[in-house]
Amino acid sequence: MNVETLLQLNTIFISIIIEALPFILIGVLISGIIQIFVSEELIAKIIPKNPILAILSASLVGSIIPACECGIIPITRRLILKGVPVPASIAFMLTGPIINPVVIFSTYVAFGNSWRMVILRSVLALICSILVGLILHKAVKQSPLKNNVIEHIHFHSFKERIDAMFKHSIDEFFSVGKYLVIGSFIAAAVQTFVKTSTLVSIGTGQASSHLVMMGLGFILSLCSQADAFVAASFRNSFSEGSILAFLIFGPMLDIKNTLMLLSTFKAKFVMLLTGVITAIVFLVTIFL
Amino acid sequence: MLRVFVLIGFTYLFLHLHATGDISKYINMKYSYISESAIYIFVLFTIISVYNYVKKDKHSHDVACDQCGHDHSHEENSWWKRGLTIITLLIPVITGLILPVATLDSNIVEKKGLYFPAYDEDDEYSQHQFLQPNTSSYYGKEGYAEVMDKGLDKIKNLKEITLGEDNFLNDLETIYNYPGEFMGRQVTITGFSYHEEDLTNNQLFLLRFGIIHCIADAGVFGMLLDIPEEMKADNDQWLQVTGKLETIYYQPFKKTIPILKVTDWKSINQPNDPYVYRQY
Repeated sequence: MNVETLLQLNTIFISIIIEALPFILIGVLISGIIQIFVSEELIAKIIPKNPILAILSASLVGSIIPACECGIIPITRRLILKGVPVPASIAFMLTGPIINPVVIFSTYVAFGNSWRMVILRSVLALICSILVGLILHKAVKQSPLKNNVIEHIHFHSFKERIDAMFKHSIDEFFSVGKYLVIGSFIAAAVQTFVKTSTLVSIGTGQASSHLVMMGLGFILSLCSQADAFVAASFRNSFSEGSILAFLIFGPMLDIKNTLMLLSTFKAKFVMLLTGVITAIVFLVTIFL
Repeated sequence: MLRVFVLIGFTYLFLHLHATGDISKYINMKYSYISESAIYIFVLFTIISVYNYVKKDKHSHDVACDQCGHDHSHEENSWWKRGLTIITLLIPVITGLILPVATLDSNIVEKKGLYFPAYDEDDEYSQHQFLQPNTSSYYGKEGYAEVMDKGLDKIKNLKEITLGEDNFLNDLETIYNYPGEFMGRQVTITGFSYHEEDLTNNQLFLLRFGIIHCIADAGVFGMLLDIPEEMKADNDQWLQVTGKLETIYYQPFKKTIPILKVTDWKSINQPNDPYVYRQY
């Protein structure tokens, strides 16, 4: 290890932060807006009573919201606080970063202007998030949030609302921001010190190649807008299924967003969620 | 109050990177508008925090909060936790501002290297990814062929092909896809040298990092060189070489790949912008 290596580590670290921060800022702003301008009553009216329908509709809403895997976490937390059932909120959180215009476009371009991978990625992500939602529906009975103080707010003026909205957004920025910093640092360290080939050499069989690609998706912690290009570079040595596992698992879970999940959810729930997502993505992509 | 410092710090970091142009050493400038918009949000957050801080001084803090429904639920109470948050967030601001920006080099190539043993699985299709940009085996064949044909038409009839900064990734991809079309053609390419165990003494890779979004997702692209005996280059030596294009069956990749038989070469300084960027 020498100075130059440490500087490279720092440069990659800063670049991940520069890339992710704008999306976090947008995420906390949307969270603030939801907190102040969307009432619990409205949410209760919109979300279907039937839990399965709720999961389905939340996944579909997630697919219209253009958010990345970090920015969506504050939004998800806010939705849970506002009374959206946990399974539905998580389903929303999982589709948001994968199915959105920017990601669809970059996947389309990365895989040689073809719709095949775009459609497979989107449809399988939707299936995975619905399955994860259904399992959570059976498994989770208590609120998984670290803090779930429900506040009932009444404002006197519009200015007060705007004030409170920004106050929330800034609070949220500080509570998730530090986890982004730590996660980005770990991801940058992995990129600087760990040879990708070491990881890849672990798995060349069918099942192990899926696990390896999911592991890569996790540790590389790429933004979902860019990961398709990296995935495309693996296409010659990895099967289509394992590349899809990378493309679906990476945006759902990676180093930086796992740390952010820990800032929001109880550790036990994060472990459960990690296990469920890993199993579902693995099973769905391996039987492709 | 400490929070205001953090927000000012981030605002300044982003402003500084944009003002000095150093931002291009971190991200693909095609996406600079995204980080530009972050500046506005940070400025806004800073102003609001200062305003709230000043206002808080005037009123009794507790009373003000109970009334307006501020969400303090996830604010850590203990001072050291709050301190830790502030310090953690200040780290990238400080290291980003004071440490010099490093350039990705052969050290990172080694880590990212992508020397996958998986080639052996199906010889026919296996090829080395890290040299060959973008392409796909999953594209809809026609759509992809169309795109590639356009790329081919562009350079097919050129007598000499120069892989400059703008066309590096696109034209390189075309050459890898249609090596037959370019046999014997004169090609000029710029990059840094990279030695690799499997290479013979007269071989050398000339590489450049290609950036998609930010340098965390950079990949290595370039060409294998067949160099004359008297030519020597250490790792990370920037070179501009010209030569004739041939192909070679390269055992580690288990594939026939283009190789440039170098006739002319010169050492150059690292270009102002050492990276090439993906253009859609």
